[in-house]
Amino acid sequence: MERWRLAGVPTHLLRFAKRCALLRRLTISMKQNTIFQAAAIVAAGIILALVANAFASRDRKVSLVGTYPNALKVPAREVPVAPPPVVTPVTQTVATTTQPATITVPPTATTTTQPTATAAIETVGLNPKAKTPPAPAPTTTTAPPPPTTEFKVHPDKPYIEIAYNDVKALHDKNVLFLDARRTSVYEQGHIPGARTYSVWESDIDDKVNKLFAERNDQAAQNLPIVIYCSGGDCEDSHMLAQKLWGIQFNNVYVYKDGFPDWQQHGAPVHTGANP
Amino acid sequence: MKRYLTHPWLTIRVQLALGAIFVIAAIPKIADPPSFAHMIYNYRLVPASLINLSALVMPWVELLAGLALILGVWKKAARNVIGILLAVFIIAISINLFRDNAIDCGCFNVADRGKTHEQRIFDMKVDVVRDLGMLLMVGQLWWAGKREEDLEAANVAPPS
Repeated sequence: MERWRLAGVPTHLLRFAKRCALLRRLTISMKQNTIFQAAAIVAAGIILALVANAFASRDRKVSLVGTYPNALKVPAREVPVAPPPVVTPVTQTVATTTQPATITVPPTATTTTQPTATAAIETVGLNPKAKTPPAPAPTTTTAPPPPTTEFKVHPDKPYIEIAYNDVKALHDKNVLFLDARRTSVYEQGHIPGARTYSVWESDIDDKVNKLFAERNDQAAQNLPIVIYCSGGDCEDSHMLAQKLWGIQFNNVYVYKDGFPDWQQHGAPVHTGANP
Repeated sequence: MKRYLTHPWLTIRVQLALGAIFVIAAIPKIADPPSFAHMIYNYRLVPASLINLSALVMPWVELLAGLALILGVWKKAARNVIGILLAVFIIAISINLFRDNAIDCGCFNVADRGKTHEQRIFDMKVDVVRDLGMLLMVGQLWWAGKREEDLEAANVAPPS
């Protein structure tokens, strides 16, 4: 006040300057206050999250620090292989039956036998390349082909991906099956005998350690283990296989197409919390 | 136009809507942290050591910020937190769109819905547009708050 008077500043300018200083101080304090409040919201969130996790049930709890080797690695997209084009004989078949006068095939031949795609094209003459004899119709009663994979120990790689036939063969031999999906999903339906080993739940390391204790000698660790999840782009089974490989389980197989494929094949399914 | 866009009638509704959206979005994530951790993992942007921690903390921050907006407590701080979260979501989804890494957003639902690659990519684009819309709502709150401050500074009562 005194300084301004000494400088000879008019009173209205003095008031204006004071108001500006006050406003600036107020704005700064409000901004700081907002930052403090935002920090308080985040801090409260951290505390509540930790408390909630501490009291969460086993299948809802996560370990604070997870181990996910491919956390920053973008998976390569698997482009589905397009099936070979199938020529439908619909239009050609109609032509042979509705216009018998233009084609020299006896009408009895077209009415008594159901033409295959190749035969229909041959009759009309649309595709000169299609002169090969018709392929035998697929039979639905054939037995599934035998397993293609030899289930040998493979210490050089964490897992081998296998398909349904191999999985079924191993299941028939009472090999250990591990379900890497969430426990809640496991309870809705799983492969009979499979144990729940969800990689996203907090007790996964305990379960892996327990398995290691169960199979504590080299011979037991070399027994095959099959892991599955939901197929498709599901990586949970691969992550669990990596974990097991890390503790010397050298004969792990991943059911590539997972539980949906198992169901599609009409294989038995068990529901509930027990294997 | 400016008067209408910053009018308290609109501001209070935007504030309540944004708060409600964040509370609704937070609940499934709080209910199932392992699934949300899986969703965060799928983004392939968060280091392994931070995935579970993010999955635990982020939904609670969303919930508190949403509740603060609904209750009108610490509005500016809550608005800023939500703005930052939305910006992070938009950037994360956009990076994955650019990388052609089809993921489930995990915004309102953390269950794996078994979608195809194309469906996921389409949904991600929709998610980015939706998040931009919500960012506009944050912008409206910021603008209205700034106008209110200006009016207070000029000792003029805000329009009722």
